[in-house]
Amino acid sequence: MTQTLPETPAVQIEAMSKNYGSFRALRNINLTVRKGEKVVVCGPSGSGKSTMIRCINRLEEHDEGRIVVLGIELNDDVARIDEIRRDVGMVFQHFNLFPHMTVLENCVLAPMLVRKIPRAQAEATAMRYLEKVRIPEQASKYPGQLSGGQQQRVAIARSLCMQPEILLFDEPTSALDPEMINEVLDVMVSLASEGMTMICVTHEMGFARRVADRVIFMDAGEIVEEGNPETFFVSPANERTKKFLSQVLRH
Amino acid sequence: MTALHPAAGYRLSSLRKRFFRTPLQAALSLASLLLLGTLAWKAFDWAVLSAVFTGEGGPAACKAAEGACWSVIANRWRIIMFGLYPYEEQWRSALSCVIVVVMIVLSCLPACWTGKRIAAIWILGVGLFYGLMKGGVFGLRYVGEEAWGGLALTLFIFVSTCVIGFPLAICLALLRRSRLPWISRVTGLIIDSIRSLPLISILFAFAVVVPFMLPSWLQGDKLYRVIWGAALFFAAYQAEIVRGGLQGVARGQEEASMALGIGYWHRISRILLPQAMRNALPATINQFVISFKETSLVIVVGFFEILASGNAAYGTGEWTFAYVEVYAFIALVYFIFVYSLSRYGAFLERHMAIGTR
Repeated sequence: MTQTLPETPAVQIEAMSKNYGSFRALRNINLTVRKGEKVVVCGPSGSGKSTMIRCINRLEEHDEGRIVVLGIELNDDVARIDEIRRDVGMVFQHFNLFPHMTVLENCVLAPMLVRKIPRAQAEATAMRYLEKVRIPEQASKYPGQLSGGQQQRVAIARSLCMQPEILLFDEPTSALDPEMINEVLDVMVSLASEGMTMICVTHEMGFARRVADRVIFMDAGEIVEEGNPETFFVSPANERTKKFLSQVLRH
Repeated sequence: MTALHPAAGYRLSSLRKRFFRTPLQAALSLASLLLLGTLAWKAFDWAVLSAVFTGEGGPAACKAAEGACWSVIANRWRIIMFGLYPYEEQWRSALSCVIVVVMIVLSCLPACWTGKRIAAIWILGVGLFYGLMKGGVFGLRYVGEEAWGGLALTLFIFVSTCVIGFPLAICLALLRRSRLPWISRVTGLIIDSIRSLPLISILFAFAVVVPFMLPSWLQGDKLYRVIWGAALFFAAYQAEIVRGGLQGVARGQEEASMALGIGYWHRISRILLPQAMRNALPATINQFVISFKETSLVIVVGFFEILASGNAAYGTGEWTFAYVEVYAFIALVYFIFVYSLSRYGAFLERHMAIGTR
């Protein structure tokens, strides 16, 4: 089937730059992510990859250029930002669950406050997603009583409860003990197979190979190279990419 | 059975190890024990064995006795507890005290911690207290604020200071961490200015100086001006405590709630403040305790709260010798309130620790 209308992209970044004082954190970023696309962003630490995805839901403000998310341009309009944040979920490196609430309360809070969904319905949805991340039996526990891997899965369920169009992952496995990484990656793989639009900052190259439609390599605040995982991993064009991959894939 | 319970045996042996390890240590321990024992006995003898309890003999019976003169309390407790409040109406003042205590206890129970319940308890409680104390309705005789006194006045000042001061403190703390520099700087200036003044001068200024600056319709009764002064002072300190609590909440908490699309007020009320107040709890209880005791400073602007009423109770010629007993009694009243407050603080810390292991 051929598409007649050009679909609005999920995320469209044009000539975006960001500075911290005189430091150029991001320079001239151009990136378009289609709906349903899975993009993995990698690069050495300090290359600006986290900063870039945090600009997409405006946890960071960009200084130049344009960011359009789901057809809405990000600017200082607070109402618009909240509108975008409703539809763009984010999973953090350090989970950031609310420690004073149970797992279930963590999951129903935003749907009830932001989407005005009645409690019973919000709880039913939450339980469905907790089952999806294979953790429904922990619903009445507090985050502090769970392992890192379990907390991160709850965090994913919490984002899903808002039924977002796009999910951003900011190094979701790098704070985890090695034996817990796979339980989180498995959840991410199954989300990807269901057609969620995902932008993941991660060092998990196996995940990138398996899931990504496109891999983006960033260094020093710029997108250096992008391509499908096959060509990216097998025959990278840029010297910096080659060096990075040789360091990451050595073992 | 002669065998000691294992725990008791352990305690005994650890006691021996700690206090009777060497002969010198044993001697010192015994000497200290003897000293403490003597002091305790003297105090007990003064307070109970040689004391005069009934008021029948009047001051003369006390002067003849060796020990404490509790009959001054029996004779004068109404002045201590109710101050200048009209004698035949003092049941109203007593009932008001009970209402305030019930109100405080109710709002301390976790079961009552919803906005509606707290609001209902406080509006009802303060309304009842005010109506009962002031009268002029339902056939109750009118008693103006200038005649209020004793424990009822102490509790009223304390409770109003906290009720006005606490929300004010939260506002100040939030304004101080505003992203707009001029707001945070001005708030900081206000907080620091208030904190650099002694409470006594603030009370004095609000009672005496403010009437010269405000039009008469804005002045209100002196009592309410003094309460506003005390509340402002409370708020300045408590604001810094709340701000400290907010700083202890991980940055990721706010980011996570922002990423979920939760708006500013819900972020503050559901995510940040509940966690900040946990961090700030010990210091907050401390601030409440200090404020309770500082209510006694209103004496400088002519109010007869419990301490000033105590002064009046023994200051009438025939009982002037019995000031120690009066102060001991007032100290006991303070102790009951402050100690309950601290115990409640400890309970809260345990209760709140459940979620954040």
